[in-house]
Amino acid sequence: MKNKKLKILKPTLREKERYIAFQVISEEDEEFTYPDLESAIWNTMLDFLGEEGVSKTSVWLLKDCWNQKTQKGILRCNNKSVQEVIASLGLIDRLGDTRITFKILKISGTIKCIKEKL
Amino acid sequence: MNFYDFHIHSEFSEGESSIEEIANRAKLLGYKGICFTTYLDDKNKIKKTKEIVSKCSKRIGVDIFIGFEARNISELDKLIKLRKDYDVLLVKGSDLLLNRKAVETKEVDILTHPEYNRKDSGFNHVMAELAAQNNVAIEINFREILNSSKNTRANIMHKIKNNVEICKKYKSPVIICSGAVTHWQLRDPKVLMSMGCLLGLELSESKKTLSEVPENIVKMIKERQDEKWVRPGVKVV
Repeated sequence: MKNKKLKILKPTLREKERYIAFQVISEEDEEFTYPDLESAIWNTMLDFLGEEGVSKTSVWLLKDCWNQKTQKGILRCNNKSVQEVIASLGLIDRLGDTRITFKILKISGTIKCIKEKL
Repeated sequence: MNFYDFHIHSEFSEGESSIEEIANRAKLLGYKGICFTTYLDDKNKIKKTKEIVSKCSKRIGVDIFIGFEARNISELDKLIKLRKDYDVLLVKGSDLLLNRKAVETKEVDILTHPEYNRKDSGFNHVMAELAAQNNVAIEINFREILNSSKNTRANIMHKIKNNVEICKKYKSPVIICSGAVTHWQLRDPKVLMSMGCLLGLELSESKKTLSEVPENIVKMIKERQDEKWVRPGVKVV
């Protein structure tokens, strides 16, 4: 009984997702790790949108899609909060002591389509 | 879609980065054109800046315009007289009289951050009507939001939201600019667009603020460069 998985929701009941491909441009081309970026995104979003606001976005930084060499990654959120997530990314101007900027590469509804951009 | 950022400070005014650094970053982020804003300290500055900018523009492949920002009424009067010599005329908002004068003047292209350093929003329905009549764009300055935090940021965003609402009602043009002082403060057009949406604009309106409104200003710049142009609405036939 413990290992029994939840029955998958019907497509109409599932949350509609959006994937945002981005690239981190940094001073002296520093390579950031996944935990560095994850904490920066979470802290900025919690500051800007608040706990309740972030809960509405269903935001998640996909670990297996983060490429440390090219500094490209994918953020997942729901279709209603794309603008909030992108605006929050724009408010991150430093990662540690390094100045950074986010370049938004593509926004898509399927992960297959967005992986082509990475 | 072509995106423009019309309020950037380089090392020639209060900025830190060189024109080349900023232009390269703008190209990377996908801008079609940018405008370097400076202050009128002496008249020779216009020629000097023009020379450097034209070289840079050809090499990097980004349209670069030169804008002058008036900080007070006397500076605005001087800049109106020299209107044909440069591309964009911006007015630094904050003082109520200057805000009013800016929206009353047809030569002005952009009124930057009318709520800057004020307790109120520095902009009302009368000014919005005048801005719509004279085609003066009201700026949403991203740097103001970026450089503030917590309660200050909340207050600034509240004032901007009020201004946006009035502008929408009176159909005054709104423009979103980064207001960057270094190339690290330049933001992706999609980021600025998203911020516009959070400040009360629809997505389509937000796109217009970064493409259609600046394109109209570019059209005006081209008209002004024509020899027949005398002043807004007057041409030699």
